Amino acid sequence: MLYLQLLVNGIQTGALYALIAAGFSLIFGMTRIFHAAHGATFTIAGFVFYEFYAVLEWGLIPSVLACAAAAALFGVLLNRWVYVVIQRHEGSFFTVFAASFGAAIVVQNLIAIFFGKGMVTVSTPLSRSIELMPGLYIAPMAFIAVITAIICFALLHYLFTHTNMGVALRALGENPVLVDVFGLNPKSLGKYAFLIGSVLVVPAAILTAATSGLNPAMGHHVMMISIAATIVGGVGSLRGAAMAGLLFGLAENLSLAFFDPQWSEAVTFVILFLFIIFRPGGFYGRAIVS
Amino acid sequence: MKKILLGLAVCQAMAGIAVAQDIKIGAVFPLSGANAEYGEIFASGANLAIEHVNADKMLKGNLVLVYEDSQALPTAGVVAANKLINVEKTPYVLSAFTGVSKAVAPLGTRNQVVMVNGGGVGPDLATLSPYFWNVIPLANFEVKAMAPYLVKEKGLKRIAMIYVDDPLGDAALQEMKTELKANGGELVGSFSIPAAAQQFSGVAARVRDTKPDAVYIATYGNQQVQLVKQLRDNGVSQPLASYSAFSTPSMLKLPEAEGAIFTSQQINVNNPDPRTKRMVADYRAKFGKDPNMYAINYYNAVLTFADLAAALQKEGKPLTGANLLEMRKKTPSFDFVGAKVSFADDGTVKAPIQINEITGGASKVIKSAQ
Repeated sequence: MLYLQLLVNGIQTGALYALIAAGFSLIFGMTRIFHAAHGATFTIAGFVFYEFYAVLEWGLIPSVLACAAAAALFGVLLNRWVYVVIQRHEGSFFTVFAASFGAAIVVQNLIAIFFGKGMVTVSTPLSRSIELMPGLYIAPMAFIAVITAIICFALLHYLFTHTNMGVALRALGENPVLVDVFGLNPKSLGKYAFLIGSVLVVPAAILTAATSGLNPAMGHHVMMISIAATIVGGVGSLRGAAMAGLLFGLAENLSLAFFDPQWSEAVTFVILFLFIIFRPGGFYGRAIVS
Repeated sequence: MKKILLGLAVCQAMAGIAVAQDIKIGAVFPLSGANAEYGEIFASGANLAIEHVNADKMLKGNLVLVYEDSQALPTAGVVAANKLINVEKTPYVLSAFTGVSKAVAPLGTRNQVVMVNGGGVGPDLATLSPYFWNVIPLANFEVKAMAPYLVKEKGLKRIAMIYVDDPLGDAALQEMKTELKANGGELVGSFSIPAAAQQFSGVAARVRDTKPDAVYIATYGNQQVQLVKQLRDNGVSQPLASYSAFSTPSMLKLPEAEGAIFTSQQINVNNPDPRTKRMVADYRAKFGKDPNMYAINYYNAVLTFADLAAALQKEGKPLTGANLLEMRKKTPSFDFVGAKVSFADDGTVKAPIQINEITGGASKVIKSAQ
């Protein structure tokens, strides 16, 4: 029963990781901007949801909308006022990265000032596990996480395969110069990539607020998962990021059946190293040769 | 223009005089990162002590506390301590967290700078150096108090332990093994977790699998809050026990922590001595709550410096680490908040340990120290 329990836990964690990684993978894949402040978007979304839902008690829908608005606003404005400005002055990849990293630190400190440096959680009975059969505990939140992930990725699949915007975004990820030649505006498309990528953190941020809690410094962990999943999934592949997130969640949990918990994070990095060595393009991406 | 330049020169000279009169001590606290909540609590006590020392003009000069951020990480702690010692020239540095304290202690020894810990509880902090002092009882005393309480008084013999993979966690595990054996209990499972881990549903499954009577937790900061929430959410319904790190506001407020028990040093905030009364009254006025043991420890640590420095100034000796150490050895006892204490030869103070329960968002003493 322990294996089944760990498998279920792995699927829940994996769904959460997939949702966490999707936004970063989308932004990086489409714009090639290393959006290190993606973790900060996640933290902002989580704390805004906490403020509106648990403190101000506005109810679920208004709180989710406020959370999505805050995440979208942060992502889009950071792109418009920081990344675009740096790129206009032909700043390098690392200049953009440094600016993004700095923005993440500023956000972390601002959240600590406004919400305190400790942990906050959104209490809900949905995160409490129920013993479905002897030794197997599952919380309603596990089903919510999996269903939310499926819905989000189905919507993204539809967006990128059935809409002009999605096709244009994919084209931006493939060849921004050609997009320009065809009369589309790469900067404007980049704005939409940031909008969608930032809003994508909302489900994961809300689920995290309810299951493990929020703290101002949590952005680093979010970035670690996002970067690893983007590499293993393949740069530019949302399907790959989702698969990689699921793989990490499963590996982290199933490894507990064989190793001490202190090695569970190492398992994630072993997978990452194996991919870098044997399949540098990830699940669905292409190897990048410079 | 000449007048402006002259004015600036005078201002500069006056500023120089003011700086020269400052007496600087340092603090290597976690001011950012996952354990920043502790830094805030430590600083609340230390800052209040600085206010009191300066208001009372205890020293010839203005006492200033210079902060550097350790993020509760040994590497960042060493960078911070190096800056305090070599740039700020502080003879006395407040330290916290077992891993950080063990990393910075050699710097104190090498440079003859006194390091004082009021937050880390790893038992080996007692043996680091003559220049490393502890104003907090260490974890071995806390585990020694908790193990017999669980086994003999509550009848909870099968204990599972979750501990952070760092010097504090390792030391607590060794103590728990020894104490359970001595008291007739059994360690049915021990699970180490990385300091940065945030997902514990799998750990909960492993813990449930050992069928323990109680679960002992030895980690700290935001991680311990996440751990308790996820243990409860994932079907671990057994009593939870821990050490003094459970006394943070985040943990006390956590609904899932209701009923958890933890040890802490006993401090009598109702002690009638003037130092205790003043500290507690001013802390309540400033923060609207009672000071917890961490705030009191760092208040005591700063006051210890002030007492020693005042004695050295009276004798006309410079405020160096070596002189502070010599003066401490000559001083039989110190007036701490809550009690009069003496330092043992290894630089630690010992205090009785009490057992508390988290109830209704606060902690309640359920067993006073013997």
